Amino acid sequence: MITLTELIEEFQDVDDKMERLEMVFELSEEVDFLETEHWNELTRVRGCQSEAHVVVSIENDLVKLKAGADSKLVQGLMGILTIALRGISPSEAMELTPDFASEMGVLNSLSPSRSNGFRNMFDKVMNEIQNKM
Amino acid sequence: MREQFPILQREVNGYPLVYFDNAATTQKPQVVIDAMNDYYTNSNANVHRAVHTLAGEATDGYEACRTTLKDRFNAPKVIITGGTTEAINLVAHAWGKANLSPGDAVVLTEMEHHSDIVPWQMLAKELDIELRYVPVQQDFTLDMEIFEASLDGAKLVCVVHISNVLGVCNPVDKIISLAKQNGARVLLDAAQSVPHQSIDFQKMGADFMAFSAHKMCGPTGIGALLVSDDAFEQMQPFMGGGDMIETVSIHGSTYQTNEHKFEAGTPKIAEAIGWNAALEWMEQIDLDSEHSRLLELARWLSQQLRDMGMTVYGRHDDDDAAVVSFLHPTMNSEDLAHLLDARGFAVRTGHHCAQPLLERLKITGTVRASLYFYNSKEEVENFVKQLSDILERFS
Repeated sequence: MITLTELIEEFQDVDDKMERLEMVFELSEEVDFLETEHWNELTRVRGCQSEAHVVVSIENDLVKLKAGADSKLVQGLMGILTIALRGISPSEAMELTPDFASEMGVLNSLSPSRSNGFRNMFDKVMNEIQNKM
Repeated sequence: MREQFPILQREVNGYPLVYFDNAATTQKPQVVIDAMNDYYTNSNANVHRAVHTLAGEATDGYEACRTTLKDRFNAPKVIITGGTTEAINLVAHAWGKANLSPGDAVVLTEMEHHSDIVPWQMLAKELDIELRYVPVQQDFTLDMEIFEASLDGAKLVCVVHISNVLGVCNPVDKIISLAKQNGARVLLDAAQSVPHQSIDFQKMGADFMAFSAHKMCGPTGIGALLVSDDAFEQMQPFMGGGDMIETVSIHGSTYQTNEHKFEAGTPKIAEAIGWNAALEWMEQIDLDSEHSRLLELARWLSQQLRDMGMTVYGRHDDDDAAVVSFLHPTMNSEDLAHLLDARGFAVRTGHHCAQPLLERLKITGTVRASLYFYNSKEEVENFVKQLSDILERFS
């Protein structure tokens, strides 16, 4: 299983925007998909142009993220967050910053609205983790 | 022509820029950039007041834009505004507040841009007036039967000339004629038509016509409201300040009687000079033949998109604009736009500030390619090829 550090290095090696987007698309497979029937106002990520929904739970002191979007690109961003949260405890998760997306150069490939949407998604997930601690 | 637009020489993500977002804003030819640069370099001064040489040059430059607009559109009054949105808000405040009473009706259409809906919703709340919306039909045209029925007791009709989403040109001659028969004034949102058509404002018979410079090769931040003489007499100033007054004392003020009455404060001088350069530059364009060329490209593109399984929203009749809104059956429109951007294509996605129209069409957004003078057949063909490659790779 790929780690966040390896993922950052992979993205940093790619210059072509199309290739970078393709990598984000592929990361949508990493998401534990939240079925659309569970999408509601509580799960919605606000400020995202697409329909984007997340649910956070804590099982055996590990953070679990379920997420879904109507855009493959947004779901790819959710996949990146899934990898960032994989196998870590809530207190370790609270030390994460959204800087990893900038380090990957992912946000440079996106419009400002998408970048802001990613930050909103990150903030929502972090808030939910904190509320469940 | 393309070499006159410096921005078209650049690359985006390693590919030549193909700019298909012209319904949002157009690119500027060098003469427009030069005119604004020359003003700031050589003539910068405020207008209408001082007697020095620079002030005279600035005033001449600013007023030349108004004169050009009057001549080009055969308009008795031209109020220079910050753009189409400000022009429509000006009608709402300066004419609407002085002439509409509780219970009066204003007719709008579902095809309007938000800028021709929201000001009226705000005024409706303030004045307790009724808003009547004319629906858009399955064939992307206005329901003219409902329009006629909506006119009973209406004081104002607000209608978009050409839809920024569909490119559909509304039958404005008929709309104006019917409105006039019922005693209603007409406000035409011509933001998308003025860049493509020659319009004789007085012959057309509307009372107000709003449009922006930046959609016709001019600068951003400036537009105009054309007004008929008798509607102009019914308007009251709503923004007070310098330039719009005749005299001011501590007991009260008197106002200018011409268009300056509605242009309080230092106006958009550099922008007016740039717009005038754009208007003069456009004189060399044969609008009719360009319209035919671009419409043919839009029709060809629409057919190619349909052949690829896309849904195209619009009909591309003879008077319609070269705007092609489309959706892929499975691929998200914003995802598609990002992938197109990776190959240098600038297209628009989203609701295009026309959410009531999209709600009627039961969609939340489209990908929109909108063409202008500098777009070529080769660019459209390349767009189809790249789009086809993207779909093969990603869908």
